[in-house]
Amino acid sequence: MTSRKKDKIQEILINLCAGLTIVILVGIIGFIFWRGFPGIDTDFLTRQWEERTTYVNVGEYVEYSESDELGRVPRYGVTLEVTEEGVAIAALDSSSSLTKGLDGAGRVYELQEQDILEEVDDYSVEDAFTQWQESGGENPDAFLKEVTDALNAGEGTSHRLKVVRPGGGIIPMAVTTLYMIGLCLIIAGPIGILASIYLVEYAKPGPLLNIIHFAIQNLAGIPSIIYGLFGSLFFVQICRMQYSILAGAMTVSILLLPVIITATEEALKAIPRGYRESSIGLGATKLQTIWHVVLPGAIPGILSAVLLSIGRIVGESAALLLTAGTVASIPGALVGSGASGATLTIKAYTLMKEENDLQTACAIGIILLIIIFVLQIASRWFSSRLLKHRGQ
Amino acid sequence: MRQKVRIHEKIVETLFLVCALVGVISVLAIIVFVFYKGLHPFFGEDPYSFTDFITGVRWAPSEGTYGIFYMIVASVLSTAGAIVIGVPIGLMTAVFMAELAPEGMVRILRPAVELLAGIPSVLYGAFGLGVLVPFIRKVSPLVQGQSMLAVILVLSIMILPTIISLSETSLRAVPQSYREASYGLGASKIQTVFKVTIPAAKSGILSATVLGIGRAIGETMAVMMIAGNPTAGLPQSIWSMVRLLTTNIAMEMSYASGRQQEMLFATGVVLFFFIMIVNGTLLFLTRKGEEEQK
Repeated sequence: MTSRKKDKIQEILINLCAGLTIVILVGIIGFIFWRGFPGIDTDFLTRQWEERTTYVNVGEYVEYSESDELGRVPRYGVTLEVTEEGVAIAALDSSSSLTKGLDGAGRVYELQEQDILEEVDDYSVEDAFTQWQESGGENPDAFLKEVTDALNAGEGTSHRLKVVRPGGGIIPMAVTTLYMIGLCLIIAGPIGILASIYLVEYAKPGPLLNIIHFAIQNLAGIPSIIYGLFGSLFFVQICRMQYSILAGAMTVSILLLPVIITATEEALKAIPRGYRESSIGLGATKLQTIWHVVLPGAIPGILSAVLLSIGRIVGESAALLLTAGTVASIPGALVGSGASGATLTIKAYTLMKEENDLQTACAIGIILLIIIFVLQIASRWFSSRLLKHRGQ
Repeated sequence: MRQKVRIHEKIVETLFLVCALVGVISVLAIIVFVFYKGLHPFFGEDPYSFTDFITGVRWAPSEGTYGIFYMIVASVLSTAGAIVIGVPIGLMTAVFMAELAPEGMVRILRPAVELLAGIPSVLYGAFGLGVLVPFIRKVSPLVQGQSMLAVILVLSIMILPTIISLSETSLRAVPQSYREASYGLGASKIQTVFKVTIPAAKSGILSATVLGIGRAIGETMAVMMIAGNPTAGLPQSIWSMVRLLTTNIAMEMSYASGRQQEMLFATGVVLFFFIMIVNGTLLFLTRKGEEEQK
């Protein structure tokens, strides 16, 4: 074989490999979008995950005007409609008494549009709906009239309604993810940034600096499942936090330390030595120099590190699975029994693993990919600002 | 006044130092707690035989049998497979980006590689479950698609960004004069790449590979759904289901208690052992690289 032929083959091989990498990336993203896209609609983005059934006692308007509009119940200031799921609230006056009803525990429970009405006192709307559907589902207007008549009956008394708020949305997981991001940044952000300031500005070369760098390098190499094991033993069990967002946030914060420290160190080192020397020469103390000279210049780099960390938090799964749990509702506390919450990523995982629901998992995947993409673009923008600062 | 400022500065410096020490404390705490809990079942009253644990090929907590040898084999083989497939593809892509591709193309490729690195591992698992597993089911002599092959393929994809970006950096760090000298001797561009540039970037590429090994052996969620996780048996071929060290922990940790939980920590200790080898090698390579530069 001539050397030119060999060259050509090797070049083709290189091009093929580069092409394959791109094909893989496009393939994965394409697959997630293709499988997940049919699962995305407004309900998916705006609803709670779990269906929620509540009994509500509601009073009526003191003054109201009659209306002949179909589905309208004037005394409650509400309009009903027949949907595929049942009899749902189509529109609600802002001052409707249905927004001031009390649940079984005596707390105010605000009804919302799209809530499904299942019972009015002893009259089961749900059964009537099923019967009507089984009998062919004809003449929906007459059926709706039947329901509104039940609501209009018994003037002057309060009604007890059974209402179901439909689920299937990702709101709780989105909120949990935001909580998680907030907590992790509050814990790991200051520690990481102050640690990098120490390492770059104060520490003198020697055993202490070596030990700290050695530790951080090792932290970066530990797989997240080990962090999960540690968190589930130390935070969940020994500190008695139970499966909670705080236990999860503490665990992920340790995992983030090397990410934040390495990136912030780079940003601090990028500030020219001369800046510090001139500031000290003008009589500023070391702390003043750091605060007024070094940090402002390093801000873009630090922000880029923070965005990088947010990406890690959003994508993290193994460590959170063992510490924050898989409950699909908004956590009501930081620690304890009601504090468990699944982030979007964890929910995508449990959907695949336990419910075999690849479509919804991929729909969540689309949201995750968009978040990661936006974060990376923003992070790159900040990094370029830092480079500009260095005059490169 | 001066005195006060000095004390103030000293306090702040101490605060900074404490923050810097959090990393050290964390590493120590992780090692101490995981090892304490993980080594506990082999000592004290009613100890479990360590030899049975490390050489056993059956994991049946309900019967009190805990053997992880088949998981160690599966983890090592899967990682090796991922390196064999992932490193050449990654290295060639890096060569393309550093040596052959026009500037405009690199500007598209680099963010693409970053994006690949940023995709959460759960989504790699979704891809494996939705694409690779059904495909393998069709071609496999066995009935199921969950297999070591699926694990190897997903891991190869997952280590690509690590391999590509680190190799590209080290290829770019090779001085231009090396290439020019090679051209001057009449070598072609491709010959220069394979005979001069890659050998010169050897230590960086090796570091990338070791880092890839660390990523592959520690990966959990992406391989959880595609490995099959059988309760016993050494992998017979690439088509057979495997249970990895990492998936063993993640599978049972949520409900395990008592000895079973301790055994999961023991699995973690074994995993940690592999990670320490990887980290040690990496450190050794970096030191060597630095010395060579001097």
